[in-house]
Amino acid sequence: MKILIEREPLMASIQNVMKAISSKPTIPILSGIKLEANQQEVTLTGSNSDITIESIIPSEEDGVVNIHEIVPGSVVIQAKFLPEIIRKLPENQVELSVDDDMNVLIKSGHAEFKLNGQDTEEYPQLPVLQTDNSFHLQIDLLKMLIRQTNFAVSVSETRPILTGVHLKLENEQLELVATDSHRLASRKINMTDTDGLTFNNVVIPGKSLSELNKILDDTQEPIQISVTDNQILFRTKHLYFLSRLLDGNYPETSRLIPNQSKTVVNVNSKDLIESIDRASLLAKDNRNNIVKLVTQGQNILQITSHSPEIGYVEETLETNAIEGEELKISFNAKYMIDALKAIGTDQVSINFTGAMRPFIMQPDEDDEPILQLITPVRTY
Amino acid sequence: MTSWTELKQSQPVAVKMLNNSITRQRIAHAYLFHGPPGTGKQEASLLFAKRYFCEELHDTSAESCNACPTCKRIESGNHPDLHWIEPEGQSIKKEQIEYLQKEFTYTGLESNKKVYVVREAEKMTINAANRLLKFLEEPSRETVAILITEHISQMLDTIVSRCQRIQFHTLSNQKLYEQLLNQGLPESTANMFASMKLDVQQSLELNEDDWFAEARKIVIQLMDKVMNPSEDGYLYLHQMYLKHFQGREQLDFGLDLLLIWFQDLVSLHLDKNESIVLTDQMDRLEQFHYVVSLSEAKTLIYEILNTKRKLAQNVHPTLAMEYLILQLQR
Repeated sequence: MKILIEREPLMASIQNVMKAISSKPTIPILSGIKLEANQQEVTLTGSNSDITIESIIPSEEDGVVNIHEIVPGSVVIQAKFLPEIIRKLPENQVELSVDDDMNVLIKSGHAEFKLNGQDTEEYPQLPVLQTDNSFHLQIDLLKMLIRQTNFAVSVSETRPILTGVHLKLENEQLELVATDSHRLASRKINMTDTDGLTFNNVVIPGKSLSELNKILDDTQEPIQISVTDNQILFRTKHLYFLSRLLDGNYPETSRLIPNQSKTVVNVNSKDLIESIDRASLLAKDNRNNIVKLVTQGQNILQITSHSPEIGYVEETLETNAIEGEELKISFNAKYMIDALKAIGTDQVSINFTGAMRPFIMQPDEDDEPILQLITPVRTY
Repeated sequence: MTSWTELKQSQPVAVKMLNNSITRQRIAHAYLFHGPPGTGKQEASLLFAKRYFCEELHDTSAESCNACPTCKRIESGNHPDLHWIEPEGQSIKKEQIEYLQKEFTYTGLESNKKVYVVREAEKMTINAANRLLKFLEEPSRETVAILITEHISQMLDTIVSRCQRIQFHTLSNQKLYEQLLNQGLPESTANMFASMKLDVQQSLELNEDDWFAEARKIVIQLMDKVMNPSEDGYLYLHQMYLKHFQGREQLDFGLDLLLIWFQDLVSLHLDKNESIVLTDQMDRLEQFHYVVSLSEAKTLIYEILNTKRKLAQNVHPTLAMEYLILQLQR
């Protein structure tokens, strides 16, 4: 294999795949970057076995020539030194060649590096994903979906399946659900071009999704999503992101969501976030970060927090409307703030069904089917 | 060892059980391979994993092809769905089992099949063992656990009862001895390795090692010192012995060598000349057996075993060795 390549795109690609490479790999070969060249492009792969990132450098794009010369072939190179080597090379063009004994020669200007490579046969074989099992989203929409649900995944390993976000596509509707059994975030969007594709019980690890969120730029370009038995692939033009899925059955969550309510509060979400944030100042040291919310007459909410060693805080907040029964309820302030931020609209309506039942929050105008559920905390 | 057929020569029962479970597609979710060192437990687990993942299967045979990329990667330790757990230092820690636990909540990387092999499984801490128990109890589909141990009695009963036990029998010394001779080892060395139950691979490596040749010499000199009342074994211990045998494993090895000496003394007392290992050191043995009586030799063997136990229990190595030498000194 031999390539003559521009340094800039190579560097960018290396930096992309480095994000997947762990400093403590589970198997030795994963400490390397896989380099694969065919006539049209060069593909770099990095993996930590949970996520795999592939970055593609086309030989020519929009009239800009990236790769001047390609002799097809493949090699695995130690990832520890490659980024520094490429960054510090003197010239803008890099010549990279591999002989039959997997010795890698990197040449640029008068500098020459000889590295020991490994056979790509040793590298994990990634599943070839069929494109007919896939659908498209816009990148910025996908990023928003991740932001709105991923915060609610469980961090404890007691129920591993809850550390992921559940993905379901049915009747042209895509649904994402995340829950840690104290709160739940759910988001639905309508899809148009799914070609009758349906799947259920696809659970993507929360860590993979936050990694994906970091890697993707906020653009309007489409991203293709394909699902197989054990992997999910997110594919943009030059970047493939593969993640393993979580094994097991995701619990049925639709039953948890109450469909009637006894008290409905409609409130400006920014004001509510701020006042809960203030109230939680005193509660933060407390184990559960609990604030208490009480409805009063004339559309007034009272928000209080009390911690015996520190002190007491009380604040009243004017709402747009309070309908239904009077209510006293306590909940975790962090959950509430997270949920309100995820909804992100000006006005939000909160539906309570009694002090001991979970309550749900939804944006006031119902064009975005997003739903946040929080279970209250029992206080006396 | 590259095939079941080869392994079958030394382990007919174990291999037959495993082969039958493979060919009849009745693979258990957990196996416990137990037996003394050097009996091919590791090879068996490797062969098993190869057959389990191999891409070019023949349903009727338990052999793997050994040529496909999967088999090659298992051989080189690069298969992503085969997980090896080994003691880190003295024990297998909770975190290592937690890693496994996390790994098994994920789907496989290449397929949904997964195998994990726990080497020296008796070294799991109580915490680790209890965690492992949790997923031995609730095996996920297509996951096989192989636990390897030399001391089955040190394993938790709850773990043992959840695994299919496969016993690997001791190779007879004679057989091992012949194997080693075939590999071109000198008679005296082959005899010593056979009695220490090292497998062929380990023996060949040690035979090439200068450290071992030196170790053997130092142990002989130590014997000379402690068996001679006018010499001081205690000084020799500090001047030579402890400098050469450093770290727990090497000290343990030294004790094994010492043990052979005293076993031979017992054999000599009982006129069982055929079971003497150090046939090249007959002069010394003859001489020593006048110094040490039969019952003394037995007591000293007990002391050496006791020292081995102390080392395993984290007693300060220098102190343990000093104590032993004071006991040995005539």
